[in-house]
Amino acid sequence: MVKRYAATCTHVGNQNIMAEGFKTADPLEYHKSFLKENCRPDGRELDEFRTTTLNIGPISTAEGSALVKIGNTTVMCGIKAELAVPPSDTPDKGYIVPNVDMPPLCASKVRSGPPEEQAQAASQFIADIIETSEIIRKEDLCIEKEKLCWVLYCDIMCLDYDGNLLDTCIVALLAALKNTQLPKVTINKETDLPEVDLLKKCSISVNRHPVGSSFAVFDNTITIVDPTADEESLATAVMTLVIDEEGRLCSLHKPGGTALSGEKLQDCMGRAVTRHREISKLVDKILESIKK
Amino acid sequence: MDLSVHGVSPATREFGCEQNLLSRPDGSASFIQGNTSVLAGVYGPAEVKVSKEIYDRATLEVVMQPKIGLPGVRERAREQCVRETCEAALLSTLHPRSSLTLILQEVHDDGSLLACCLNAACMALMDAGLPMSCLFCGITCVIDTDGQIITDPTLQQEKESRALMTFAIDSTDKRVLMSSTKGSISIQELQEAIALSQKASHRIFEFYRGSVSRRYSKTLK
Amino acid sequence: MFNSFKEKISEVLLPGDVFTFDLPDLASNVKPEKVICGPGLRRDGDDVRVCKCGILRHKPPNVFWIDSQQKRYVPVKGETVIGVVTAKSGDIFKVDVGGSELASLSYLAFEGATKRNRPNVQVGDLVFAQFIIANKDMEPELVCIDSCGRANGMGVFGEGGFLFRVSLGLVRRLLAPQSEIVADLSGLFPCELVVGLNGRVWVKAKSTQQTLILANLLESCENMTSNQRQALFKRVADGAL
Repeated sequence: MVKRYAATCTHVGNQNIMAEGFKTADPLEYHKSFLKENCRPDGRELDEFRTTTLNIGPISTAEGSALVKIGNTTVMCGIKAELAVPPSDTPDKGYIVPNVDMPPLCASKVRSGPPEEQAQAASQFIADIIETSEIIRKEDLCIEKEKLCWVLYCDIMCLDYDGNLLDTCIVALLAALKNTQLPKVTINKETDLPEVDLLKKCSISVNRHPVGSSFAVFDNTITIVDPTADEESLATAVMTLVIDEEGRLCSLHKPGGTALSGEKLQDCMGRAVTRHREISKLVDKILESIKK
Repeated sequence: MDLSVHGVSPATREFGCEQNLLSRPDGSASFIQGNTSVLAGVYGPAEVKVSKEIYDRATLEVVMQPKIGLPGVRERAREQCVRETCEAALLSTLHPRSSLTLILQEVHDDGSLLACCLNAACMALMDAGLPMSCLFCGITCVIDTDGQIITDPTLQQEKESRALMTFAIDSTDKRVLMSSTKGSISIQELQEAIALSQKASHRIFEFYRGSVSRRYSKTLK
Repeated sequence: MFNSFKEKISEVLLPGDVFTFDLPDLASNVKPEKVICGPGLRRDGDDVRVCKCGILRHKPPNVFWIDSQQKRYVPVKGETVIGVVTAKSGDIFKVDVGGSELASLSYLAFEGATKRNRPNVQVGDLVFAQFIIANKDMEPELVCIDSCGRANGMGVFGEGGFLFRVSLGLVRRLLAPQSEIVADLSGLFPCELVVGLNGRVWVKAKSTQQTLILANLLESCENMTSNQRQALFKRVADGAL
């Protein structure tokens, strides 16, 4: 391998250096020259996602967990369950607390200290998705009205950031929830204390399956799916569509940037629907393989 | 899209706006929609911290202050929406290596707060005289339980709704710059809501023009 | 081409407003008209687009610009400003003019200054100076001499006067030829007045009291019609205030 490289290095090397130089000197023009030819620097089509890999249940100490990679972007989601008293305004519901963390190790732009704006915005976005899609029926988390319910802490951590954080987070959350098993809890009538039976575990029912698809827009004209970190920083706008299995929108999140026409939006919706099919198939396949 | 077909007219509450009401900021505005009220201040182009300097454009920071308590995750998410919308409208390449700071103070929230923030931000940026390629406005729509779309809802209407959408619309092509939604929506409903917002945006831009003209009629003769 | 502009003169325009033109046929022998766009107007392809809000002004024959009310100064080449010396470093002074970065001022850019004969400038001094370099990509540079090497009114000043800030629009009104405000003001007290295009105004009258009265009057001119102003000045002249 090394030898072969050495032999051809004078020719290929020069070209590589040229391309590297072009990329450094004018990254926008570099990307646009690829987009003009309907392809992207990493060899993908405009509407092609990076390879998505999924590992369900890597953390044995958590109630549910998943590790998702879309290209280089790696996200780990762990779910911890705790018992608590239901909030007084909704006595028959449990609650879910999501958090997205971007530690300094995931990208050089992230500094240690208080969480990045991007991480905070992602946390809010995931919280909104959980709220609006009703991914889990909160009534299911209630054990006894006004007395006891489950709290699910969904900690999502980005281990490697290379763009498209939101899509990856949603897949990780969905897979981890599907993997979550809660022990059976009963309230002892005499002592009024909860009794946890760790041997009897059952999965929680996942009510809906939201899947996100992110798009990046270049100059109002070209839209690409699943942008990398480079593409995200150069694009004039990014947008995330989240749809459920019935094809209803859970979220159309476009935090500013240049405008997008109605037809383009329609195209994006179509792509999001196929993406939903791909991801559901993947999650089901992996879950099936675990059971075996 | 013609709205009379749907039989709904985009009703909005009473608007109010005052520009240049604060003495320290380079531009300021208060924007009122019904009982919702937001105060905005802009500083810049001013000196920028070396760590935040961008070599080819101005660095825009948006700070959102809630009425009670400290800004939290919700405010961060809104800041991101307002910042990226402003960045799309501002010609920030004309002031490279400088900082623009936009501070939004919630005065009272009676629904459509994010939309009101966007409107206040646009008026304050205009007051500061920063170069912009177009204007933008914010509009919130909710879908109530009967499937009716209501524009510019009150807090009560927001609570009773099953879906909430906020859009930022630009003044030249009336296209959607920013979108933030909550609740499950069908594609049909989304498109209707966008069409309604675009219709309502005309009214807001007319209001912008009126209130700027009023301001200039006082100061320049 | 002129007409689309002329229709809008003295009207309030907003960012995003567009002037479109019917371009004359290249084959026809009509000579194309030229238009010079000043601040607030930008060319965008075949159109001209407004990028600041304000009133469209016209100066014959063909100059158009947007007159906007602003507070923050952005340096422009050739404009004269009042700066505050904030630091001395080697051969240059750093001067605060209210823009986004400090301007530099060489110690040789004063009348009669040589390497031996340095001008007496201390940190904190006020200078009246002119931009010779001012663009978005470079550090702005000031000089206190004109092209002939004369001071021409520029240099260090400000013994015992009073410096304050007003809006850029008011400054331009003060500096306009035959400015009504200045004419009205000079009828009150004898005074020295230095006006920088960066929104800073320096006044000095016979006594501190008179200086402060003048400063307050100028600041209040911001939002007054000429009738209101004349009434106010008259009351001051009569000793009512």
